[in-house]
Amino acid sequence: MAASENISTARPTTTLRGLLSSQRNFKRLQQVIIFTIMMIGAVAMIAPFEWMLATSFSRSANVAMPRIPTFFPSDPSTFNYKVAITNLPLMRYYLNSIIVTVVSTLGYLFFSSLTGYAFAKGHFIGKSVLFIILLTTLMIPFEIRMIPMYLLMRQLHLSDSYAALILPFISGGFGTFLMRQYISAIPDELVDAARVDGASEWTIYARIVLPLCGPALAALAVLSALWRWNDVIWPLLVLSDRSLYTITFGLAMASRSQGIFTGVALATSAIAILPIMILYLFLQRYIIRGIMLTGLKG
Amino acid sequence: MLRKLRKSLIWYVFVAPTFVLYALFVAYPTFETFRLSFFQEVATRQEFVGALHYIRLLGNQVFLAALLNTAFLGIVFLIIIVPLSLVMASLLNNLHVWPNFFKAIYFLPQITSTVAVALVFSYVFQPNWGLVNGILREVGVDPLPLWLAEPRYVLTGSRAAVTILAVWVALGYYMLIFQAGLQAVPSELYDAAVVDGAGPLQTWWLITIPSLRPTFIFLFITGTIDAMSRFSDLWMLGGPAGTPARSLQTIVMYMYQTAFESNDFNLASASGVILFVVVLILTLVNFRSFLGREFSSQSGV
Repeated sequence: MAASENISTARPTTTLRGLLSSQRNFKRLQQVIIFTIMMIGAVAMIAPFEWMLATSFSRSANVAMPRIPTFFPSDPSTFNYKVAITNLPLMRYYLNSIIVTVVSTLGYLFFSSLTGYAFAKGHFIGKSVLFIILLTTLMIPFEIRMIPMYLLMRQLHLSDSYAALILPFISGGFGTFLMRQYISAIPDELVDAARVDGASEWTIYARIVLPLCGPALAALAVLSALWRWNDVIWPLLVLSDRSLYTITFGLAMASRSQGIFTGVALATSAIAILPIMILYLFLQRYIIRGIMLTGLKG
Repeated sequence: MLRKLRKSLIWYVFVAPTFVLYALFVAYPTFETFRLSFFQEVATRQEFVGALHYIRLLGNQVFLAALLNTAFLGIVFLIIIVPLSLVMASLLNNLHVWPNFFKAIYFLPQITSTVAVALVFSYVFQPNWGLVNGILREVGVDPLPLWLAEPRYVLTGSRAAVTILAVWVALGYYMLIFQAGLQAVPSELYDAAVVDGAGPLQTWWLITIPSLRPTFIFLFITGTIDAMSRFSDLWMLGGPAGTPARSLQTIVMYMYQTAFESNDFNLASASGVILFVVVLILTLVNFRSFLGREFSSQSGV
């Protein structure tokens, strides 16, 4: 409906009506209008980030913010970044994030695809029952089971460890489901031929099935990485040791104490965001394709 | 028989790791949430108390307000995001200049951590010098809205601010899902519409939107679940109590506060079960109301 309004408001002038007489000009005008709307949206998407950057480079942002927002600092300085890096062990947080994200994602890809292969091509008693059990719980939000999970971690003496952040997430119903669907589409003949040749199931999985699963594995890797990197509620429950904080969680905890220093807080969040954004610029095609394949978001 | 069992042994090895993890971190905790909700800790011992916690919750103003608030924020969010992203996706689908550039830009907030985005927005909505009020002052708005400091149900209060935030974050994702749906609409339908002399808007209204049925179902179901379990951004902006005046408190925040600040794991579990039941009911309602016709003809998502 917004579309109709925009097109109709653009029509009235007499000069435009003349232009619109030909189909090609109408198409061109339509493109200009859509482009303009998209550009306004894009500016709204970028503006908060740009404003964050500008403020983080402003030396006086901690003392007094300009009443009129500026998108370029009047007094550029890296002061806030120096304070941010001295205040918090940000490199340590980054390292923790990388360890947790990489290990859980590799585990997630491996176990999901292994179990998915068994459900797609295996023959064993109880296969469909087990698969249905896995499916029925897909819709249950994590938050519903988080309290017993926390209590379990405490009982196992795993609170405040990498294991607590990694172990619950190295396999999952969704990943298994996606891999099973994807592997089911691989022709049975391919797998059977290898079996006739005497290949073990493990060899078939590792040598034949996995190499054919590239797009599905890439999509799962994107999702798992985004989930782990950006998670805050699970670290909030199981972490009290600062040296294990991830960058996302460290930023969350820090913002509660240094909230009054605008420049430093925004410099800290810039440090947490920017490397991911740069990575996204290079990988955005795969990330977007992955999201479209699975329908899920980070 | 034994040979057959040995042959299928390898498959059990393949599914074992996933199911061990599943038992430990999905099945057991879900069951345990239900069990804990019927017990009460009495001198380090768990005693069965029946529905006591549920009766406590249903008479608890804070819990009921959080439940209502979660639903309110979720409904307003979906009412705004679904039509907006549908229109934007339809427009982008017809744009030949830089479509992938816009797709990438709109998706940017989605890959950024909720924590960082919420932190930036706490400054964006700062009443005196924040980005939003700075612009509003420039165009002559007076008095300036209080945004995150205003707990009442007004269009410029805390709930409006976090809804703008949520829409800003999710727009790219919803557009992406709608675009995938748009590309799946059979082109014969459009050809037929052109033959029948339908204009672009008529085609959009009569062909495109009905064809997107599966996409609507998918977005309503996942959107409802996400909205009901909302936590991170509101926790960042208002703490576990959803400051100001609990205007931003959701069920999960109430759960967190009850478990980890009041140390009442049993009451928190009962609120978790209620969340579970609400999610289940809403999912079924979504399925039934949207999918009712589909059951006979075709499968949904």
